Amino acid sequence: MNGAELKTEVEQRWPGQAQWRLDSADAMCEVTCARAALAELCGRLFLEWNFSFAGLIVEEHPEQWQLRYCFYGEREAGWVHVVTKAPLAERTFPSIVKFVHAADWHEREAEDLFGLKFEGHPQLGDFILHDDAWQENVEPMRRTFDPHAAMQHRKPDADWRPRRIVQEPGAFVMPIGPKYSGITESVHFLLETVGEDVIRSTPRLFYKWRAIEKLAEGKTVDQVLLLAERFAATTAFAHGLGFCQAVETICGATLPARARILRVFLGELERLRQHAGAIQEICESTALVVANSQAGILEEDLLRISCELTGHRYLFGLLAPGGLLCDLPSDSCARALEQSQQALKELNSLERALHVSSSFLDRLEEVGFVALRNANVYGLLGPVARASGFSRDLRRAQPYSGYETFNFEVPSEQEGDGYARLRVLFAEARQSVGIMEQAVAALQNGGVREPMRLRAGAALGWVEAPRGGAFHWVRLDDNGRITRYRIVPPSYANWHGFHLAVEKFAFQDFPIMLSTFDLSVAENDR
Amino acid sequence: MSQWVIKGLRAGIKTTAYPARAESAAGVSPGLPMAGDFPAGEIAALMACCPTGVFSERDGRIIVDHRLCVHCFRCVRGVNRPVGWQQTYEWGMVRDGQHEFGQPFRRSIHIIVVDAGDCGACLNEVKQLNNPYYNMHRLGFFITPSPRHADVLLVVGTVTDHMRNALRKVYDAMPTPKRVVAVGACALSGGVYAESFVCSKGVTAVLPVDVEVPGHPPPPLAILHGLLVAVGRKPASLMAPASSGMETSAPSG
Amino acid sequence: MMPTQTLILLFFALCGAGILLSLVSPASRQGTVLAWVGCLAATVVVLAGANASLAGRTFSQPLWSLPALATTMTLNLDRLSGVFLSVTGLVLFPASIFAGGELNRAPDRHGGRAFTVFLLGLYASIGLIFIAGDVVLFLLAWEVMSVACYLLIVYARERENSQAGAGYLLLAMGEAGTLAAALGFLALAAGAGSLDFGAIKSSAPNLSTTARWTAFLLSFFGFGVKAGLVPVNFWLPRAYTAAPGAFVPVLAGATLNLGLYGILRVNADLMPMTQSGPGLVALVVGTISALLGILYATTDNDLKMMLAHSSIENVGIVVAGFGAGMVFVATNHPALAAIAFVAALYHLINHSLYKTLLFFGVGAVENQTGTRDMDKLGGLTKWMPLTAAAFLVGTLSIAGLPPFNGFVSEWLTLQTMLRSAELSSTAAKIVFALCGAGLALTAALAVTCFVKVFAMSFLGMRRLDENQRVVEAKSGTLAPMAILAALCLAFGVLPTYVIPALDAALSPLTAGGSAADALVPPFFAANPAHETLPPAFVGEFHDLGAQVGQGFLPGRGLVVLHRGGTENPVVFAMSTSYTLVTLIALLVLSYAIVRLWLTRSRQLARRTRWDGGVRRLLPEMTYTATGFSNPVRVVFDAVFRPTTVEDTRETVAEHFRTAIRREKERVHLVDKLVFHPVKSAALSFARGLAAMHHGRINAYITYALLTLLIVWIVFSLLPAS
Repeated sequence: MNGAELKTEVEQRWPGQAQWRLDSADAMCEVTCARAALAELCGRLFLEWNFSFAGLIVEEHPEQWQLRYCFYGEREAGWVHVVTKAPLAERTFPSIVKFVHAADWHEREAEDLFGLKFEGHPQLGDFILHDDAWQENVEPMRRTFDPHAAMQHRKPDADWRPRRIVQEPGAFVMPIGPKYSGITESVHFLLETVGEDVIRSTPRLFYKWRAIEKLAEGKTVDQVLLLAERFAATTAFAHGLGFCQAVETICGATLPARARILRVFLGELERLRQHAGAIQEICESTALVVANSQAGILEEDLLRISCELTGHRYLFGLLAPGGLLCDLPSDSCARALEQSQQALKELNSLERALHVSSSFLDRLEEVGFVALRNANVYGLLGPVARASGFSRDLRRAQPYSGYETFNFEVPSEQEGDGYARLRVLFAEARQSVGIMEQAVAALQNGGVREPMRLRAGAALGWVEAPRGGAFHWVRLDDNGRITRYRIVPPSYANWHGFHLAVEKFAFQDFPIMLSTFDLSVAENDR
Repeated sequence: MSQWVIKGLRAGIKTTAYPARAESAAGVSPGLPMAGDFPAGEIAALMACCPTGVFSERDGRIIVDHRLCVHCFRCVRGVNRPVGWQQTYEWGMVRDGQHEFGQPFRRSIHIIVVDAGDCGACLNEVKQLNNPYYNMHRLGFFITPSPRHADVLLVVGTVTDHMRNALRKVYDAMPTPKRVVAVGACALSGGVYAESFVCSKGVTAVLPVDVEVPGHPPPPLAILHGLLVAVGRKPASLMAPASSGMETSAPSG
Repeated sequence: MMPTQTLILLFFALCGAGILLSLVSPASRQGTVLAWVGCLAATVVVLAGANASLAGRTFSQPLWSLPALATTMTLNLDRLSGVFLSVTGLVLFPASIFAGGELNRAPDRHGGRAFTVFLLGLYASIGLIFIAGDVVLFLLAWEVMSVACYLLIVYARERENSQAGAGYLLLAMGEAGTLAAALGFLALAAGAGSLDFGAIKSSAPNLSTTARWTAFLLSFFGFGVKAGLVPVNFWLPRAYTAAPGAFVPVLAGATLNLGLYGILRVNADLMPMTQSGPGLVALVVGTISALLGILYATTDNDLKMMLAHSSIENVGIVVAGFGAGMVFVATNHPALAAIAFVAALYHLINHSLYKTLLFFGVGAVENQTGTRDMDKLGGLTKWMPLTAAAFLVGTLSIAGLPPFNGFVSEWLTLQTMLRSAELSSTAAKIVFALCGAGLALTAALAVTCFVKVFAMSFLGMRRLDENQRVVEAKSGTLAPMAILAALCLAFGVLPTYVIPALDAALSPLTAGGSAADALVPPFFAANPAHETLPPAFVGEFHDLGAQVGQGFLPGRGLVVLHRGGTENPVVFAMSTSYTLVTLIALLVLSYAIVRLWLTRSRQLARRTRWDGGVRRLLPEMTYTATGFSNPVRVVFDAVFRPTTVEDTRETVAEHFRTAIRREKERVHLVDKLVFHPVKSAALSFARGLAAMHHGRINAYITYALLTLLIVWIVFSLLPAS
């Protein structure tokens, strides 16, 4: 379904309620529709016309609310932004969760942070602002929010109880966290059980909520770039890239070729390193000690390769809007490629060894199953979705930074269990090195940064981060300062769908399935 | 299963010789800016380019507060005159001198790691301490999940509002004697989140901190150094906060 | 010391006087009457029993002759009866205090006067059963006891729906059991030509195999009803749950023993075994009862129901011990038989003590909190510390931990099973091995079960409603619990005194086998070398300190020793007495070392529990009793076979799961296999018969005419005599 077909459909089905506009520079269709038609339109996009839901962006303009629902399809289909507006005094919107379940958490976040009500959403509340820590009507993202007043007059709900879904005699809720196990991120799990297996799991996230989106408002592009890199630093380059691309789109910048290729090279290096880390986590969770050590060696090797090439183990301080902050010599890149190929050899050898370790595979095969239908409904992203057969990759579907010129496959599996996710990680690592080889071969001399003039505007930047598609929405004002920064990280959707994998499995399987999802709490919590 | 034995033996010994000898491999540390002489005309530009205010000036020399450095590299990239850089990793600093743990803890301690809102990088570096390259078990450092068994509380992340209570509970549940090691710029000063209304400006807002390890994130060797400082097996780094007024010079690596 | 007859007379007189006193006392004083009279009667009966079993002053007294039945009603108090009388008295003493306290606490609730009268009547009938010397007196007393039990269950003023049903089931099964036992007695008496126990006993060797098997099966399952053996015990959990809190301890502690007494008396005393078959049957039935009992106990959340199932388990262990003893008697191993019977009887005594104690505890908890559901209790140690302490003693005893009494009898029972190696029949050895393994499994499950009971009810977080006020139980409840707790400890720490006492009562049953000689070596004897002990290991034991206490302690020694047979010369030894002393010494010493020396300069800090850093740990975040026992439920699914009653999922807005409702129903295996089929058969039979009663006069006249016709034909066909 391309832009023209969409225009015809929209004008046919919702006459007078939806206006369609094509932004040819972006290949983005913007459909402004009335609140009444919102749910149905989004439902059609998602269910019938096979678009994926990227995120809901709520903006408080001086006189109106603007809610932007971003959808994307395969290449020809492009982006569709469904925008609905309402005066500031009205705060009720229809919920689209009945059709687009992936919007569940987006609406809950909007309710918590902006105070908007979504009619038809059955579970608003107690999301980011935990009910047992905050009173109602805090609305921190509103312009009128006063942090001092809010922090001084806290009135937590003393009668807060965990939401109970399981009603069985003797069922209880096993709390895990926020501090649990050895070296883990802080997240609270409430596992409902009758003693043997987990019947229902409800993660309680946002213990690490740092209010990045609020912090970014009013800051310069350079300052917000620091935030974008550092809020989820294990995939710092990808998120920084997303932010830079959004700014570059607003300002209409063209990047030098060398910068684009180097960005691809560094992005794939980061993907390789992050996937090695994920494999190490999976081996650690199953307590296969030698594999854990071998994978740990590989992750450390890749961190050192990154540091030797760029000066920082996590690739901080390389990006700038308009290109890269500094050039990387081509021979250093070649050397880094050689070292990465060596690491890949070891990784392949590790994979071969794991494929024949039956005790290891027993813990992963047919455990933590996520069906393709569920992956679709929840809008799962990244290797998790691809392991269930849902293989939409932003580098293919909506190429950026020159990915359309690279030859690579997007691996996917059908089983949707833990083993399938592991296989996808290995396969993607191989593809990454392939792309890195092509990048080094394509490197030509040239500059790495074009001077860029900031101007007002808003755009979406997207990037296929190692964990899945990440979306950064940036709005700049005339002074080049950020007025709205919205991040939709891949872990957001994957945490939403995580409970599907752990239900009906024993407690011992829980940490293993958690590790196969490669979730980041820092990324989700922002 | 014998394939794993063979595989492990083939991989050989990767462990660093640190702390017995310095580690010289490439890529083990991002390094930190170096204090010292600087051309007078460029000092203002240098101080302006740092987003967290690491640099200050005294008597024509620049003084560096490493606790604020977030490794953005704006002071070496994109400026006319880059600042000097030290590729070191022994960064553990003592807060107020009183950190001696005592003889029973010199050889072995149990560490509990609490993520109080970090970005993932500091925690990942702490995780690397268990890989064969660093292998902190050989130094007698063990991770424990229960605060009742812990001697050292290692905190990463600026303490978010929602984690204040949990962090405090961990600290209270630890038996004395106990020490707190704060790791990473966010834990020391709030990092880039210092102005956020749900973040504290570092762990000192919630707990008394004994050893600080700057960096964003500090590499595993720096964290190791911090732990060795905590148990008194290594001297603390001479890099001191600007406010103390001490002269700084490049310490030994 | 008064002669035993006088004591017995005094006992019955006290019961009668008590009944009269109760009839004239006002309702508010019934509890006091019951407590005082009951205690006095219990003391007297303990003395009488002790007199008989320890001092050997038995008696046999013919009462009235019944020429129509060609028998004389006799009283016969021998050592075995004496043991049972003492045990019953030990249980009835605190039980009377407890029951009296219950009546005083809520005077209208139990129908005080009726309760006191029936309970004292029950005491009298129990005493009479133990000293009955002939079948008629035995059965008469048995019937009085059955009816009294039924009335005591049914007469509580506050009726729950299940009470009346449970009472009828108790009565019906009781009558069926009595009928079977009576037929068994008749089978024995037919051979002897007399209903007197003495005559039966002397003519027992002449019985045919068929008669033996008939008598065994009828008496075993007949008395097994009262004892609580599978498959005739389905009345027991219902009756225990329905019985008022004042009566249930007596039900568990005293009346349960009657069934076991009956089994023992008939199959070991009146008719000693000559074949191992019946013994093996008893062994197997006992083991199955034990396993089923403990499985259902572990997975039950109602305190009273769980204790009822646990009673079934303990009775199973006792009966398994009886079975082993019977096999050893039949295969001519008197010493082993003595050991087996001693183990079984010891377990019987122990069960009476700790089960009564546990029921006191449950009663106290129910009075204070209003609920018996373990999933709703928790954290009671804070408010009921003394009750918790006494309950803990009971729990440790029933779980079989030294130095309490449960350990001693479990140890002895398992040792008996090990001695099966000396049997010659392979089939018997296999059965013994399997049953031994089953009993070991039972012991392990018992630990699980009672850890769950104590932890869920008393430890952990309080799950009761916040408005429920919980206070410590009154002294009327605490004193009996303290008495029994002390007795549990005493019977645990002094096995070397109990075993010889039991042995004296049991050795007539085993043709002279002496358990005391086999189990309690005389380390205190002046001559350290006993004939059956090789001097080499007497020396070893002396090095271990087995003779400590020689000078000032009476008795043979403080070590219980169990030797393997000649083919298997190993030695198992234990001494709970020394264990207790060592335990106390170690605890005191370690506390002293740690607190007074190692950490003397440290301060003690008290902090809240570590809970993972959650903001507030809520009761619903703690393990429930169901969750704790779920692994057992899952592993033994083939036994429980739950059926799913509900398994629904509620979804809102297409994808939001709002509720998952699951519920499973469990029907007791014995109910499914025995009770329900029997019930349906009886009901359909009754329905068939009812078809005859349709109220038409013409049909009834036809029935009468038909009957006359049949009788006339029959009589006319009979030969003239």
